[in-house]
Amino acid sequence: MKRAAKIYTVLIFLFLFAPIAILLVFSFNEAKSLSVFSDFSFKWYLELFRDNETLGALKNTLILAVCASVISTIMGTAAAVGINKLRNRYLRAAMDTVTNIPMMNPDIITGISLMLMFVFVGSLFGMSTSLSFWTMLIAHITFCLPYVILQVLPKLQQMDRSLPEAAMDLGCTPMRAFLRVEIPEILPGIITGMIMAFTLSLDDFVISYFTQGNGFQTLPIRIYNMTKKTVTPKMYALATIIFFVILALLMLTNLVDEDDSKKFRAAREAKRSRRSRPAREPNRRPVRIAVSLLLIAALLIGGISIYSSRVQPLVLNVYNWGEYISDGSDDTLDTIRAFQEWYQETYGVPVRVNYDTYASNEDMYAKLKSGAVSYDVIIPSDYMVARMADEGMLLPLNFENIPNYQYISEDFRGLYYDPDDIYSVPYTYGIVGVIYNANVVDEADTGSWDLLWNEKYAGNILQFNNARDALATAMYRDRLDVNTSDHAVWDQALAGLTAQRSLVKSYVMDEIFNMMESGEAAIAPYYAGDYFTMLDAQADSVDLQFFYPKPTNYFVDAMCIPACCQNQELAERFIDFMLSKEAAVANAEYIYYASPNSLVYDDADYIDEMGEDVMEILYPDLGSFRELYNQYAYRNLDGETLAYVNQLWETLKIN
Amino acid sequence: MKNAEPRVSRRVSLAQRMALAPYSLWAVLFILVPLVFVAYYAFTDDGFRFTTENITRFFTATSSLVGDDGTVREVHTYLVIFWRSVKLAVISTAICLLMGYPIAYIIARAAPRTQKTIITLIMIPMWMNFLIRTYAWMTILQDTGLLNSLLGALHFGQAHIIGTEAAVVIGMVYDYFPYMILPIYSVMAKMDTRLLEAARDLGCNSFGVLRRVIFPLSLPGVVSGVTMVLIPSISTFYISQKLGNGKFFLIGDAIEGQYVANNLHFAAAIAFVLMIILLVVMALMKRYTDSRVRGGV
Repeated sequence: MKRAAKIYTVLIFLFLFAPIAILLVFSFNEAKSLSVFSDFSFKWYLELFRDNETLGALKNTLILAVCASVISTIMGTAAAVGINKLRNRYLRAAMDTVTNIPMMNPDIITGISLMLMFVFVGSLFGMSTSLSFWTMLIAHITFCLPYVILQVLPKLQQMDRSLPEAAMDLGCTPMRAFLRVEIPEILPGIITGMIMAFTLSLDDFVISYFTQGNGFQTLPIRIYNMTKKTVTPKMYALATIIFFVILALLMLTNLVDEDDSKKFRAAREAKRSRRSRPAREPNRRPVRIAVSLLLIAALLIGGISIYSSRVQPLVLNVYNWGEYISDGSDDTLDTIRAFQEWYQETYGVPVRVNYDTYASNEDMYAKLKSGAVSYDVIIPSDYMVARMADEGMLLPLNFENIPNYQYISEDFRGLYYDPDDIYSVPYTYGIVGVIYNANVVDEADTGSWDLLWNEKYAGNILQFNNARDALATAMYRDRLDVNTSDHAVWDQALAGLTAQRSLVKSYVMDEIFNMMESGEAAIAPYYAGDYFTMLDAQADSVDLQFFYPKPTNYFVDAMCIPACCQNQELAERFIDFMLSKEAAVANAEYIYYASPNSLVYDDADYIDEMGEDVMEILYPDLGSFRELYNQYAYRNLDGETLAYVNQLWETLKIN
Repeated sequence: MKNAEPRVSRRVSLAQRMALAPYSLWAVLFILVPLVFVAYYAFTDDGFRFTTENITRFFTATSSLVGDDGTVREVHTYLVIFWRSVKLAVISTAICLLMGYPIAYIIARAAPRTQKTIITLIMIPMWMNFLIRTYAWMTILQDTGLLNSLLGALHFGQAHIIGTEAAVVIGMVYDYFPYMILPIYSVMAKMDTRLLEAARDLGCNSFGVLRRVIFPLSLPGVVSGVTMVLIPSISTFYISQKLGNGKFFLIGDAIEGQYVANNLHFAAAIAFVLMIILLVVMALMKRYTDSRVRGGV
């Protein structure tokens, strides 16, 4: 029995720690692969320390966790004292029930409920943004409070009631008795509650996801965005560091505890031998821990507030696709920093850019439409530009502040989504193609959309994980109109996807990168530019190739200024900077998408850097781009059609 | 000393009387009112006019499924999604309970120092970010992942797990397993061992002791463990996205999907229904254990 118990315990630990061990090992992998270990290296740790976005998110997370845990500990302890004093049975039951709600409700409901209230109240007051650091802090305090209360309350109940009584009999005021007698008695509960609150806040993703405001990204949200895109061992390096910090903290608290229990035992023995000794030796150590914790918290908050109260520079809020700007990694240009420097040099005013990212047009639209956030520059795709312009969500641009607009090719002016060139400045354009692993796929099977329906490759095919892009592949294949409002046509497209479903390995968006690079899947429709990003990172056993099926999707992503913009001129200067040769070339080289900017596509260095093969795929000789674009690009669908399309998508997913 | 009691209660300072005020205000503003907003959004349309359409849509929306043999079936979209969430969450919770109960028992019977170490070790994975933990499982389970490399090296063939319901269950079990162990352990650690001895002295065999003494006494721990695993499993959306390969929706995905598509009112309606159902289940469970605990001891 004993042996069986031991074996079972070991098995459980194997299960609990195997994934963590794997994560630790692969954080030291030289290669990017998360499943094949090549060589030992600290490369990903260096990358991590150069990743300003992640470090910034880490800082935000700590600020939030410190504030939330301190406030919830103070309020929660007070609440526990109050609840403990309640004599009315019904009142007490009511308090218990309310306290239980945030713990019993799924996170997603707590998150949604708070978000709905913030958005509603925000719109009542006509605020341009209702979500911010403060709403997130409120949310975190709210879900931390019950844990603090439930840690402190039992300690209060266990406490010997005669102690504060005795103190008061000896002349203490009730307040003094509380501070000198009760607090030390319940301190272990307070500290445990605070630690729990701190870790809960640190780790929370779901509630933060729904209540996140602009410019304040926490680490879990950053990680969520990373796992939607190419995940590098950088993230594992981060997890490893977190792991060791926690391990060290736990060992430290254990040591402190042991010290305490030794002391306690010693005190008890002393008590036994000398009955005259005062009944209770006040245990000073928890007090010291608490004081030092509070001090650390105060220092942190103080430091942060001094840091943030420095000269308040102009603030520009930019909302862009993930991985859609040159960010300074691998010796590329750090576009945001370059803009800040350029702006200060040119106008003598410091400017700070808050840079956030989104995963889809719809995501961005939902956030802006709800009034939850406010941005100064956004980069939607064509059909979304049309929709937002239509709904009055975009500001007309003042092109005097955007002189570099002159370098935008004639081909990209007056396109359907902005016929009079009022609202938008093209940033990139591209064509959807099919990427395949030539080591798996027969050359003869390639060339058309049929490859995605080829039963030979069942279980090796990836499909878009959003309604419109996925349905469009079936529509291009059957040469249907992707902008129709005819339900029958959409039904036909769904039939195409249903027939394909058993062949599809996975419905993905940016996860495509990892899956294609590692050979996990062999066929995927995606954007030409991204093919080259994958090519750079493909595993040795993989040979990625690319072709354009006909017809296919053509798209333009354009920079716009949303109506909630706070500083239009600054936003326009930013757009102009993005068109400058330095920034535009750096961005085009970094994201590998085709540029409509003649400063880029005519630049000899750029052409040289890209190489002939790349240029051929990125800038294929199409004849008239405008004509193909007008025929095959997505248009804005009316609300009724959109709802129908989403409904079809759910149908596909419940199969 | 007859008058001691009233004197005691009078000696509560004003500060102590007021201690509950900030929290009460906070609880009303940020716990209760938001829930009212869920109901408000669930029962209104885009123009905030009263409607029951969102709720009806949850129960009546249908989709036609085309089977492999070409036959068409009408199913209730959200009921199917909801049923799948319940199914996977119940399976995960059951596995957690079956795996967690013995380990909680083993820990509770170990020496005090060992108990502390094991509990600390079990809590460590909880401190790692759950997104990263789930992602690690994705790299293990995927077709070119570590599990299959291992199986391949041992000539055991390949296992296709990622993108199946099994993968989602593995993720749920792994992520929420400690939540099952800890409450059961803490109840068992406090259990009076004299009761077990008494049962044995009175002729119970080990299984009898387990069934008639240990299990009834540990029931409160089991209930809170089950709750703490069931609730996050039923509402997750990250695990199904990553380990289910986006191939099927759970109720959490449906809510998140509606949120991203900016249908806040319908998202609220799904959340509302989920909330009510969980509330009823919790109440039933509480009633059941209250009667069991009272009757059992």
